[in-house]
Amino acid sequence: MGEAIVITSGKGGVGKTTTAANLGTALALQGKKICLVDTDIGLRNLDVILGLENRIIYDLVDVIEGRCKIHQALIKDKRVDEKLFLLPAAQTTDKNAVNPEQMKSLVEELKRDYDYVLIDCPAGIEQGYRNAVAGADHAIVVTTPEISAVRDADRIIGLLEQEEITAPKLIINRIRQHMMRSGDTLDVNEITTHLSIDLLGIIVDSEGVISSSNKGEPVVMDPTNKASLGYRNIARRILGESVPLMSIEDEHRGVFSKLKALFSR
Amino acid sequence: MKKQLVNMKGTKGGFVLHLDDQCAYVDLVEELKKKVSESGIDSKVDVQLYLGYRYCSDEQIKELIKIVQETEQLIVSKVQSEVLTVHESDQKRIESQQDTYLGVVRSGQILRSPGDIIIVGNVNPNGRVEAGGNVYVLGKLKGIAHAGVHGNKEAIIAASRLEATHIMIADQVQVMSDEHVKAKNQEEMTCAFIGYDGRITYDQIHALKNIRPLLNVSKGGS
Repeated sequence: MGEAIVITSGKGGVGKTTTAANLGTALALQGKKICLVDTDIGLRNLDVILGLENRIIYDLVDVIEGRCKIHQALIKDKRVDEKLFLLPAAQTTDKNAVNPEQMKSLVEELKRDYDYVLIDCPAGIEQGYRNAVAGADHAIVVTTPEISAVRDADRIIGLLEQEEITAPKLIINRIRQHMMRSGDTLDVNEITTHLSIDLLGIIVDSEGVISSSNKGEPVVMDPTNKASLGYRNIARRILGESVPLMSIEDEHRGVFSKLKALFSR
Repeated sequence: MKKQLVNMKGTKGGFVLHLDDQCAYVDLVEELKKKVSESGIDSKVDVQLYLGYRYCSDEQIKELIKIVQETEQLIVSKVQSEVLTVHESDQKRIESQQDTYLGVVRSGQILRSPGDIIIVGNVNPNGRVEAGGNVYVLGKLKGIAHAGVHGNKEAIIAASRLEATHIMIADQVQVMSDEHVKAKNQEEMTCAFIGYDGRITYDQIHALKNIRPLLNVSKGGS
C-alpha cells in the first residue's frame, strides 16, 4: 500500500505542477513506482511539462464517470522505465465534474499499485482544492520567497491542518540566490519560522527549469542543474534519507577556476 | 399598620428606593406610583432602584424606571438586584473563563472565545482573534486582535511582540498605520488598552498592573 501526497500552494504560478513533475520523476529514478494525478480539471498542464500531451486518450473524468478503466487512462512515461505513470486531467469540463468522495476512492485504488501517488493540486481553495486533498495522506506546500505566496501558503496550511492528514511540509521554490543574499527577498529562515512547519527542501531559480519544461522533459533528468539537485534531494528526504540543506551561495569562482573550467571543456 | 412596600432611603451615593420583594408586582407598581408622585423633591436627584430578591424581567425593569422618571425629578442611575437567572450566571461564568490555544492562528482563521484567550504561538497576518475578555499572545501578534467584543472597554490585548495590522477593543478600532509605528517599535512585551481619552493606547506590559489593577489576582509572591 503506497502513500498519497498532495502538492499544493494556494497561490498560482509558484511551481506546483513543475514540482509534481520533477518530484515524480526523481522518485521514479530512485526506483519507486509513481503515479502522478493531475487534478487541475479544465486547465491541465502536467501532461505538457512531462511531454505526454499527445498520448492522452482517456482522462480522470472518464475514469470517474466509468467510461474507461484506470489502467486505460494511465500514461506511461517511457524515459523512466515502467516506473512513472500519469493520470491526466480532463480539459473539456470543470472542477465540479468530480467530488471529493470520488477522488478519495480513486486515490485509494491507485495506492494499491503504486509506492507514491502524487496529486497535483490546482490553485485556489475551492472545489478543485477539496478534490485534490480528499484522498491524500500527506501534503507538500510549495511557496516562493514572495510575500504574496507566503500569505497564501499560510492560509492553505491552516486549511490543511483541519484535514485528516499528517502535518504539511514546505518547499521553497524559485530562490534567487543574489536577491536573498542581499536581503531583497524573504530568506529561507524567515519563511520557515513564519509558517512554522518543517522545511522539506529548497529549489534555486534556474533557467534550465523553464527551458526543459518547454521541451517536455523534467529538469531532474539533467543531473548538472542546481534546481535538479534540489528536487533530487527532496525525493531522497521523502524516502527517509537525511540530506543536508543545500547552500544558496553560488560558487564564487576565481579567475583560475574559470580558466580551468574553460580548458577542461 | 400595613407594611410599606416602597422605602426611600438616603445614602452617601444618593437616594435608594428599596422595593419589597415579597408582595405582588402589581401592588408594588401601584405603591411606587403613589410614592414618587408625593416625593416632594423639587430638584433633580439620582436614585437607585434596589429590587432585593425579586426577579424582574427586562420589561418590568423598564416599566419601573419609567414610573420613577415620569416625575421628571428623579433619575434612575442604577438598578440593583440580588438575583441572576441561570442564563446570566452561565454567561458570567463563561466570560470569566480562559481558553488556551496552542499553535499558529493562520491567515483566514478566526479564533473566538467568550472569555479571555491565551494563544501560545503566533497570530499570522490576516489571522483574527476575538475574545469577550482579554487577548494574551505568547508569540508575535501580526494579525488582527479584538478584545471585549461584547463591549467590555476594560479588556486588554497583550503580546510578546505587538506587530498587529488592526487592534480593536470593544467598539474602538485602530489600524496600525505609520502613526502607530511607535507602538510597533517598542521592543517587546507590549499591551494595548483603552486609555482615559477613550482611545486605544499602548504601553509596556509591566505597566498593566497599574492600568488594570483588577486583572491581578495576587497569590503569593509577597
